[in-house]
Amino acid sequence: MYVKEILLDWRLHLSTLAITVIAEAIGVIKVPIGIGAILLLPLLYAFVMGLLINPNVIRAAKVWIKPSDVKAASPMIVIAIMPFIAKFGTIIGPSMRTIIDAGPALILQELGNLGTVILAFPVAVLALGMGRESIGACFSVAREPNIAIIADKYGLKSQEGAGVMGVYVIGTLFGTFVFAILASIFATTGLFSVEALAMACGIGSGSMMAACSGALVSAVPEMKEQILALAGASNVLTYATGMYLCVFVALPMTEKLYDWLGPKSTPAPSAGE
Amino acid sequence: MSDTQTFEDPTEEAKFGLGAHAAALVVVCIVALVGNTVATENSVPQGLVGLIVLWGLCMVGLVLTAVVPFKLPSVAWISLVGIVATLPWTPGSAWVVETVSHVNFLTLATPCLAYAGIAIAKREIAIAKTSGWKIAVVAVLVMTGTYVGSAIVAQLFL
Repeated sequence: MYVKEILLDWRLHLSTLAITVIAEAIGVIKVPIGIGAILLLPLLYAFVMGLLINPNVIRAAKVWIKPSDVKAASPMIVIAIMPFIAKFGTIIGPSMRTIIDAGPALILQELGNLGTVILAFPVAVLALGMGRESIGACFSVAREPNIAIIADKYGLKSQEGAGVMGVYVIGTLFGTFVFAILASIFATTGLFSVEALAMACGIGSGSMMAACSGALVSAVPEMKEQILALAGASNVLTYATGMYLCVFVALPMTEKLYDWLGPKSTPAPSAGE
Repeated sequence: MSDTQTFEDPTEEAKFGLGAHAAALVVVCIVALVGNTVATENSVPQGLVGLIVLWGLCMVGLVLTAVVPFKLPSVAWISLVGIVATLPWTPGSAWVVETVSHVNFLTLATPCLAYAGIAIAKREIAIAKTSGWKIAVVAVLVMTGTYVGSAIVAQLFL
């Protein structure tokens, strides 16, 4: 696909413009639930509206959006996140002192990624009876660098590959929802300090961080600057250090757990089922 | 489904040159400017100046991605440029902070997620379907585990 075609795909850009206007006009909606509140953010409506005009999701949408528009949308995701990342940088800069003060917590907080192995892996293997795909699915939060690790070690067509791709796709589809909901629930329950929750927002992709820190800011508006600075710094560190943690700690640990908990010497079932 | 499933590597990006990036960023900034005007009290000129500055920061980051010999993702460079430009001891940082303050950060994520919704391909829907409900349950646990785990560790060391 030529770059020029992507740029001149007016149907795609016009749709995005319309979606953005509608989403921003609706604004943030707060839904109280028992233990806290869920915040519905414009970026979540934008994602849902995007799905609704996606012909792969709603067949009738093909009268407006063509397969070529769907293809052109993919590279636009990375470009559209750039101004957001730049803006994030401008929030981190002035708050450098807050970040330096939180330094040790920020660096060690990467260890919290191991929480996924502790919580998800036993359920996948013991309760759901999954095979080796549980290794790929549970060793990390399954973003692009983690896929690269699995692709390198097992190949993406392996069972481990199917596991990491499954979680990647679910994360891509619903990750913003899950993180926004987690952040708004924890922010309103008061179990953790807001700074700790902000740092935890940085563990996933850029859009996950956006949804997560956005939900936190909407819940605790008076701490906006600190929340965004800590989430952003944590996200930068995730890219810098998270990968090493995955390669040298999380993946070997998950492998060991599988030897211990997983099915013993049975013929490997086919991937995905 | 008898044919072998093949997964494209999602880390592979379409190769855009600098000029194409510049033009695509203009498209994104126009969408963001309209969104910013709808979402906030900021005037169009205020939003425009803010977005021009952000566009400039992105471009510096992209130039660095292309020029610097060791490989870092472009978003990492852009983030770094944004940080350095606004450090308290960087000359002119106050001006940068003031101009970009008229652009709402959450609004900038809205067009990105709209593109993401439109970009979902048949392949991704197929993976979600074949992996089934089990992988969905596991994925939610993975995200929850990572979030709570990180929050606990951060809480301990703060």
